[in-house]
Amino acid sequence: MTTAVSINKVTKRFDATTAVDDVTIDIARGEFFTLLGSSGCGKTTLLRIIAGFLRQTSGTIRFDDKPIDDVPAHRRNTGMVFQNYAIFPHLSVFDNIAYGLRARGCARAEIDTRVGQMLELIQLAALKNRRPRELSGGQQQRVVLARAMVIQPDVLLMDEPLSNLDTAMRVHLRAEIRALQRQVGITTIYVTHDQEEALLMSDRVAVMSHGRVKQIATPLEIYNTPETRFVAGFVGECNMLPGKVVELADQTATVALGEGGRLAVQGVSGVVQGQARTVAFRPQDAELQPVPDDDTRGLCGRLVDIQFLGGTVRFVVDIGAGAIVHVAAQRRTGAAIPVLGGRYRLDIPPHAVRLFEPAPA
Amino acid sequence: MTGAMVAARRLLGFWPAVTAAMLIVTAALLLLPVVNIVGLSFSGEEDTAGVLRNYQMFFSEPYYYRTLINSFIVSISATVLALLVGVPAAYFTSRFHIWMRSLIRAAVVLIFVSPPFIGSYSWIILLGRNGLVTTTLADYGISLPSIYGAQGIIFVFTLHYFPFVFLLVSSGLKSIDQSIEDAARNLGSSEFATFRKVIAPLLAPSISTGALLVFIACFTDLGTPIILGERFRVLPVLIYGEFVNDFGGRPVLASTLSVLLLLITTAALLLQRWYASRNAFGTAAVRPLTLQEQPFKKRLLAALFVYTLVGVALLPLVNIIVSSFLKANGPVLLAEFTLDNYQRILGTIGRPLWNTIFFTTTATLLCAVFGTMIGYIIVRRPGRISSFLDTIIMFSFAVPGIVLGVGLVVTYHHPPFAMTGTALILILAYFIRRLPFSVRSSVGMLQQLSRDTEEASVNLGAGPAMTFIKITVPLLSVAILSGVLLTWSNTIRELSATLILQSGRTVTVSLEIFNEVVNGNFGVASALGTVLILLTFLPLSVLFTAMGKREDALV
Ligand SMILES: Nc1ncnc2c1ncn2[C@@H]1O[C@H](COP(=O)(O)OP(=O)(O)OP(=O)(O)O)[C@@H](O)[C@H]1O
Ligand SMILES: [Mg+2]
Repeated sequence: MTTAVSINKVTKRFDATTAVDDVTIDIARGEFFTLLGSSGCGKTTLLRIIAGFLRQTSGTIRFDDKPIDDVPAHRRNTGMVFQNYAIFPHLSVFDNIAYGLRARGCARAEIDTRVGQMLELIQLAALKNRRPRELSGGQQQRVVLARAMVIQPDVLLMDEPLSNLDTAMRVHLRAEIRALQRQVGITTIYVTHDQEEALLMSDRVAVMSHGRVKQIATPLEIYNTPETRFVAGFVGECNMLPGKVVELADQTATVALGEGGRLAVQGVSGVVQGQARTVAFRPQDAELQPVPDDDTRGLCGRLVDIQFLGGTVRFVVDIGAGAIVHVAAQRRTGAAIPVLGGRYRLDIPPHAVRLFEPAPA
Repeated sequence: MTGAMVAARRLLGFWPAVTAAMLIVTAALLLLPVVNIVGLSFSGEEDTAGVLRNYQMFFSEPYYYRTLINSFIVSISATVLALLVGVPAAYFTSRFHIWMRSLIRAAVVLIFVSPPFIGSYSWIILLGRNGLVTTTLADYGISLPSIYGAQGIIFVFTLHYFPFVFLLVSSGLKSIDQSIEDAARNLGSSEFATFRKVIAPLLAPSISTGALLVFIACFTDLGTPIILGERFRVLPVLIYGEFVNDFGGRPVLASTLSVLLLLITTAALLLQRWYASRNAFGTAAVRPLTLQEQPFKKRLLAALFVYTLVGVALLPLVNIIVSSFLKANGPVLLAEFTLDNYQRILGTIGRPLWNTIFFTTTATLLCAVFGTMIGYIIVRRPGRISSFLDTIIMFSFAVPGIVLGVGLVVTYHHPPFAMTGTALILILAYFIRRLPFSVRSSVGMLQQLSRDTEEASVNLGAGPAMTFIKITVPLLSVAILSGVLLTWSNTIRELSATLILQSGRTVTVSLEIFNEVVNGNFGVASALGTVLILLTFLPLSVLFTAMGKREDALV
């Protein structure tokens, strides 16, 4: 893989806060790379450093192996899409898109063709003479996207570009953005706090928290094999229970849960017998089996709530000592529905259970 | 690229260069003149004794220190009176169903922008020794207090400057939420108690700013006390007298007096800032105070009060326009319609009119360009230098016209910078005095504009200069234009700096009026005054009608 953008040990401090903390990321050419994290974790700051609006406290950024730290923002050749559009309100759609080309001193004919192509691509050719205030939010967002892509930037930077739109528009545009990006093959860094968006669109995702990168992987890996407790909890739903390793054989461990239950975990490494760990599994990986009251093998509990969510049904199981586990199942017409108040065992395949460091006190 | 090159480019970038230029310009036109008069005031050039000699003389000679006391007397009295009439007038107009509210607001604006010295001589026409009202009432055996001296000055100042209070309190009232009043009433406060205990404290920043503006304006006004003061002399008149003395003037003494004047205005400014910051609540109204339903009698009384105030304050303007069409025999106007006055000014108005328009336009354009850039630096490039610029701009507001005039003369008197008596020095004086208008309107708008749009431009490859011209300026165009109109109407009537800096060639309309008044040619003065009022009011009518601005944009 050829590296288009390489972020090397970048740290940014504002007085007391460290907004970006020792971040290292390599992004391949043409890759759709997403920074995912909750509000205030430093996503925008990192993006603005890449765009050249902020100077990092330490570390280096390279485009195509060339350090760009001393290149001023207007010479970096990045295309940025801002959260609140930042469309030029006094310029027409055409002039908005042509802006970057004019700033580069392109010839008029070239500007006409390139902007024309872009207008076709975003399907706004008919509106090219409109003023931004005569466009809908989604249309404005497409103009801004075209404006950033037409300059053929080394890297496209998008800061929560869809967060100002309604749900329908968001779902529509994220598909469109992804299709456009594939078509043009542009290296993209996409910032979002919406995990669905991140999982759906990205080639790879970096999960960030408090300025640090917690895991970089494909969406599938992030979801299936989160490396840290934080990632497991942040991306997708996860049941987390405190436990203790009581048996260790090969790569399989047995963990005793505080409430008396036991779970087998496969593929563990770096744990020792007697160690306190957090046991984590996804709600849809567990299945409910009715058991008699005196059967205490595995992890058992009482079904205390059933929530119908249309296609899925969620079961809330009280496993004792106030600990609650969520189980999700596809609702199939005709399938037997567990009974409220009944006693069930949670069947979880050992490879679907993961162990993490215990919760901080 | 080496570190040194990077550092060099950071220093030589567009904005650093512009910032440096702005610092140089404001330092040369404002700080240097002030420093020079301070320096001069401590020098023993005219009297060989110690450095404090000039100050000692001032405070030991009643002839001198009396003027300071007089200045305080008229300024404080006028400020108190302006508050006493301005606050209720604004409250009634904003809260009560008074008939013709928008007309009242327009009248207040008209009073506000009219040149103050025009008001004073107009009052002489009405209430002077041979005044229209004076003689009419004398026929019935009624004698009015004199319009000359302290009480006359206080009277004219109050009527001319209460609009500061009116406009600020009106806009202050708009930022109070109705729920606050409702809560107070709900808890059992009477209407008056609610005003006194809840509304008035929330208005404290507006009221104190209004008081400050009235005080500084009164304290530094030169035209009115010259025309009305007679033997009652205030500090600015003394400065003017010492500076343009028939015997060549005494710049050292004038500087000493200027420093005193400046000290007091600066102290007033700082005092008000301190007070306002302690009393700022930063309320923003979701639902501003609404009109109150009042019993008819209350409404009528309130309306009568406001009408009387505005009517009396407007009287001198009406009088100027009317008397410009009356036959005049020196200061005595006859009840006979004529266009004589206009015919008489036709021959001589050419140069002053051209000068006025040329100086004002040039200064206004300079203000627009520099003010917008300074506003940008203050908002978008915060830091120590930027806040220093901000402070200079605020300070320029405390520098009275006459002090600036004296400072510019003593600074740019000698070659190679001998500019006294030129058009350039007048333009520069107007420019630096009115710069805060443009700065403030740009700052106000920039603070509301997200910087994303400008960053998008930079991101697309436009450098800082190009981004400023192609994105920031168009986005600010409304603010720039309103700054231009405000600057224009405030510059065109400038008198105090003009009096110090003018030469025969650079005479302006306001100066012509002043000269005609001093020479007793009231008919001609009225014709010129009418022209000046028109020139002042035209851009403002554009501002209010075409741009839909509110009156409080003025203060
Ligand atoms: N100019 C600044 N000065 C001081 N602190 C800042 C500045 N910009 C950002 N921060 C701080 O840095 C941290 C990261 O901010 P950043 O804007 O990068 O977060 P984010 O991940 O983009 O959040 P969001 O999802 O809300 O946009 C925050 O704690 C923020 O308060
Ligand atoms: Mg952000």
